[in-house]
Amino acid sequence: MPDADPTPPLQQLLQHPALWRGRSVAPVATFATGFAALDQALPGGGWPRTGLIEVLTAQQGVGELRLWLPALALLSRAAEARWCALIGPPFEPFAPAFAAAGVQIDKLLVVRPPQPLWATEQALRSAACDIVFAWVAQAASRDLRRLALATEQGRAPGVIFRPASAERESSPAALRLAVQAVPQGLRVRFIKSRSVTREVIELAFGP
Amino acid sequence: MKHTPRTASLFPEPLTDVARRSASRAPPATPVPRAMARELWAAVQWSQPTPGEAAIEAQDFTPRVSLEPPDALLLELRGSLGLFGGLQPLFAQLQSRFPEAAAIALAPTPLAALVLARAGKSCCLVDATRLVSRLSPLPLRCLRWPEQAITRLSSMGVHTIGEALRLPRGGFAQRFGTVLLESLDRLVGRRADPRKAFRPEERFQLRCEPSFELADKAFVLHTITPALQSLEAFLQERQRGITALLLRLEHRGRPASRCVLRLAAPEHRASQFAYLLESRLQSLVLPAAVRCCELRSGGLLEYAAASDALWQPGEQGGGAGARMPAFLERLRARLGPDSVHGLCVLADHRPERLSRESEPALKAAPASPVMPWASGRRPLWLLREPSPLAATQDGSGYPGHRGSRLALLAGPERLETGWWDGSDIERDYYVAADGEGARLWIFRERSGARGWFLHGHFG
Repeated sequence: MPDADPTPPLQQLLQHPALWRGRSVAPVATFATGFAALDQALPGGGWPRTGLIEVLTAQQGVGELRLWLPALALLSRAAEARWCALIGPPFEPFAPAFAAAGVQIDKLLVVRPPQPLWATEQALRSAACDIVFAWVAQAASRDLRRLALATEQGRAPGVIFRPASAERESSPAALRLAVQAVPQGLRVRFIKSRSVTREVIELAFGP
Repeated sequence: MKHTPRTASLFPEPLTDVARRSASRAPPATPVPRAMARELWAAVQWSQPTPGEAAIEAQDFTPRVSLEPPDALLLELRGSLGLFGGLQPLFAQLQSRFPEAAAIALAPTPLAALVLARAGKSCCLVDATRLVSRLSPLPLRCLRWPEQAITRLSSMGVHTIGEALRLPRGGFAQRFGTVLLESLDRLVGRRADPRKAFRPEERFQLRCEPSFELADKAFVLHTITPALQSLEAFLQERQRGITALLLRLEHRGRPASRCVLRLAAPEHRASQFAYLLESRLQSLVLPAAVRCCELRSGGLLEYAAASDALWQPGEQGGGAGARMPAFLERLRARLGPDSVHGLCVLADHRPERLSRESEPALKAAPASPVMPWASGRRPLWLLREPSPLAATQDGSGYPGHRGSRLALLAGPERLETGWWDGSDIERDYYVAADGEGARLWIFRERSGARGWFLHGHFG
C-alpha cells in the first residue's frame, strides 16, 4: 500500500466515534450559575440539570449557599417551578434574604428529618423538586450511589453539603467542589469534574 | 277562596303624600303562591342551643328540615300528615320525640311557627285565616328584630305584632327599612319564605373486626385493605376527596391507638391511603394486639382529578402537577407533620420575627412584599437564638469567634424597635468577617451589659 497515507491527520482520527478520550466533554444539560467564571469552568457552561454535586466546606456558613443563590432564584422563578428543598439545614433559613436575592420563597421547602438521607432520596426521586440541598454529616459511598441514581429518576440535581474531611472518601458524585471563604467572596476548588479546566477559581460576592 | 289570608286589609292605604312617595319604595306584597299557602311548618324551640343530633332525628318526620340557629328547628310537615295519620298523632309524635323542647308550634308559614314557639305556645295552627288573629297579641320580641328597632317601635306605642301589622306599609318601610317589612310579609304569608334545607354532612365510617387478634402491623394493613377500597368507591361515587383519615385500632383492655393521616390535597385513591398508612403505622407503637380496626374519614371535599402532562416533570415544560402534594404527604407520613414547612415573610422590624415557618404553598401565591428594611444586608442563615460572643483577649473590646478576632466590615445598622409588645430590642448590627473570611451578622446590645452576639451567617 504505497499510496495510502501511513499517518492520517490526528484530527481525523479523533473524530472516530469509537475513540473516547478521558477529557472529552460530553454534552450535558445545564443551567446558569450566575457567576461567569464558574460557568466557564463547568462542563456544559453551568450547573448540571441532573446528577449529584458535592460541596465540601471546613465549616458551615462560609458562603456555600450564596454560591447557589443565583441558581436558586433562576429555578424558583421558572414558569413550572417545583419545590426547592432544603433538607436538614444547619441554621434557620432567613426568608427576607432569600426574597431579596430574587428567590420565590413559596417554592422553598424546609425539611428537618432525623435522618437526612431518606428524605433526600425521596426528594430526588419524587420528581417534585427542582433542586435538593441536603446537609449530610456522614454518608457512605453506597448511600451516595443511591442518591446519584435518584437524581436521574427525578431529573433534578442534588447538592450535598459535606465536611471537608470527606474529600479523601470516594464518591459517585459527578461534580465535587471544595469551597473556602476568602475576603472578597469564595474560593472554589474542583476536586472532581468532567470538565477540562480544573483550576481554582475565586468568585466575588457583592458587598 | 275561603282560605286566602285577609291580610290586605291590615295595611290601610297611606294617606299623606310623604307616605305615598315612600310607599313606591316599599316592596309590593307579592301574591302568595298556592303551594306556599298549603304548607304546614313546625317549629321546635329549645331553651338552650339546638342539640346536634336533633336535625338528623327530625328527618324521620320529613325530608324538609332546616336549621334556625341558634336554638330552633323548622320542619315542613304538610306532606307527612297522611303518613302519621293526621295532625294530632303527628303532633303527639313530635312531642314525644323532642321531650326536651321548650315549645313546638305548627303554623302555615315558617316564621309564624317560629314566633309562636318562641312565645312558648305549643299549638297547631292550620287555618291560615286565623293566623293573624293568633299572632296579633304576641310581643314584638318574638320576631327577634334588632334591639334598636324594637325600642323605637315601643316608644311609638307599638308593642305587639298586631300593632306592627296595622302600621302603614310606606311609613314603616321608610322608618325601619324594607327588611323588616319583608319579615312581616313572610310572617303572614304575603311573601314566599324559602328555607335552606338541612343536609347532614356525609362521612365514611367502617369497622372491620377480624376473626382473630392482630399482633403484626402488616396484618393490620392487610385487614383494612377492603375497607380502603370501599372508601375509594364511596369517594368516587360522590366525586369527592378527603384530606383527613383516622384509623382507630382497638385493643383488649387498653385505650385505642389512633393513626391520623392529614393530606395536603384531597385524595381518593385506596393505594395512596394504604401507602401513607403504612408509613404512619411504622412509627406507631402498638400497646397490645389489635381486636378491631375502624376507618373514619374527615369531611368530603371537592376533588378535581388532574390530567397527567405529556412531558415528565423536569423535562421541557413539564410541570410537577400532583407530585408536589404527594411528595409532601409522603414526607409527613413518615417524619410527622411538623418536620416539613415552607417559609413566609412577616412585616416586623425584629429579625427574629421577620421570617416565619408556614404551611407549604401548593398553589402559586402572589409574591409577598418584602419590607424595605428587611432587604438590606441580611444573612441567609439566622440562628434560632443569638449566641453570645466572647471578647478577644487582646483588650481591644472587639468580639472573637472560633478563636480569631472579628473584623467589622459594615455597620452599624441600628435596630431599636418592638417597644410596643414588651420584647423590644436595641441593637447595633454589623457585618463581620472571621479569620477565615466567612461573613457573620453580629450585633452589640445598646443597653444592659452591651454584649456582642452572633445572629446569623451570610452562608
